[in-house]
Amino acid sequence: MYFKGINSYGDRGLVLDFGNETSKSISQEVNEAFLNISNLNLQSLNIVPSFNKIVVIFENSKIRDQNKDKISMEMRDTNSQTNKKVTKTWEIPACYNEDFALDIKIIQKLHQITKEEVINLHSSVRYYTYYIGFMPGFPYLGDVPSQLITPRLATPRVKIPARSIGIAKNHTCIYPKVSPGGWNIIGQIPFDIFDLQSSYPSLFLPGDEVKFYSVSLSEFEKIRKYNFSLNELIKEYSS
Amino acid sequence: MNSIIITRAGTHSTIQDFGRFQYQHLGVSPSGAMDQRIITELQKIIPNHQNQFLEFAYVGPSIKVKEGSVKICVGGNCNMSIQKNNNSQLECQPYKSINLFEGDELIIHNTIDSVYGYIAFEHGLGLEPCLNSYSTDTKAGIGSINRPLNDEDIFHISKDVSSWDLISIPKPDLEKVTNFKVYPGPQLQYFSDNTLQSFISGVFTITNQSDRMGIRLKGESLISSKSHDILSEGILPGSIQVPSDGQPIVLMRDIPCTGGYPKIAILNEVDISRISQLPPETKITFDLQTIY
Repeated sequence: MYFKGINSYGDRGLVLDFGNETSKSISQEVNEAFLNISNLNLQSLNIVPSFNKIVVIFENSKIRDQNKDKISMEMRDTNSQTNKKVTKTWEIPACYNEDFALDIKIIQKLHQITKEEVINLHSSVRYYTYYIGFMPGFPYLGDVPSQLITPRLATPRVKIPARSIGIAKNHTCIYPKVSPGGWNIIGQIPFDIFDLQSSYPSLFLPGDEVKFYSVSLSEFEKIRKYNFSLNELIKEYSS
Repeated sequence: MNSIIITRAGTHSTIQDFGRFQYQHLGVSPSGAMDQRIITELQKIIPNHQNQFLEFAYVGPSIKVKEGSVKICVGGNCNMSIQKNNNSQLECQPYKSINLFEGDELIIHNTIDSVYGYIAFEHGLGLEPCLNSYSTDTKAGIGSINRPLNDEDIFHISKDVSSWDLISIPKPDLEKVTNFKVYPGPQLQYFSDNTLQSFISGVFTITNQSDRMGIRLKGESLISSKSHDILSEGILPGSIQVPSDGQPIVLMRDIPCTGGYPKIAILNEVDISRISQLPPETKITFDLQTIY
């Protein structure tokens, strides 16, 4: 139990505080609380989880104050009831071909390991989705094995290709679309993970588990051509 | 069928509504009209606006009726005129409905002593919502139209004007405010009493590096006694964050969904609309409210 309490954020926001540390177990509690609070059907505008906070945003202070007790009660009760698992486990194809692995040499050099070792290490771990942020559908995944922990690029790249896999510090990510950014790029996945046509547009949700598996360039291109919809991707690659 | 064409897009013209909510946990910003007071007023004149407002900044757009006729109303403080089909020029005013007929062109020259203006169209602009909203976030590429408007953009409005009656409301009193009451931000304690004193007693200047995402201020440096790097957390529009150069940024409607800078204070909702209308070089001050 990491939950510390609820604080005001201006006249129309609340911050649920889970301390100042970050770990998978803290995030698990945060994401469980996020689902429970979402299910309360509050009159909130947005509920935003991150590593150790949940920010809840209301239209005005009156509605905020009316809803605060419901959240307090829910947070008190969360202890006793364990939430049934609603998150997904993903197996995501990743192509670490040199055309995509723009910064893999930086990681090799820093840790004195081969390209194959980087690939094996990166695809050996079941990552936890801490939260979605930075840009629409961008998952913060972690933690990467200690031999892959690498600082952000000193000079961020102006244009990272869509669907690129990156590493920064102890996290790994997927860029949903072309973007500037400072993560070390080591590969690419063959499908889009954010689709505005879908009513639930993000493939990944906070709390999902994600494991990558290495595919060849020809396999990558084959999957790319399928042009899966989000629903098809869920059927194909998650359980 | 009625249609209009954008004959000059203006500088920052986008489609906006009251905001896109329930998606911030997926990295989608709320967006929405910078000055929500104005679109609230426009609703009184054009009740059937379909939440598809055209927002412009500084230099307004010009719009010509290609086919049929439309009923619109402009909000904000701006210079504008109508070039009629027969080459005559007509004066027109904000907050009064305007009937435009085939060949008529509404020319919005510029906003006066303010930044943002709006046009409401009866029956909307024939757009489909994107994630339950018509708002545009140009940085994220999200919206019914996921970019600023361009010259030659055409909108089809299938329904005909309901009535030619001219409707107007008194010009709303959107007084110019430069002193803002703010509430403590989540990281208020990251700043020493001396720094907080500088924040309250200091004068800050709005810089021209300001847009729908944030208004950058220039003034006395507000250096944190703890750190300018916090673990990213959810943020609200109106938050005043302070990066390591000590120059505060007021986060506006196209906020990044989570942020890693300490937030010294936050504006109330109506003050977000008010501050959005202050042009660069305007000097502002803050009053910190202790309760909340």
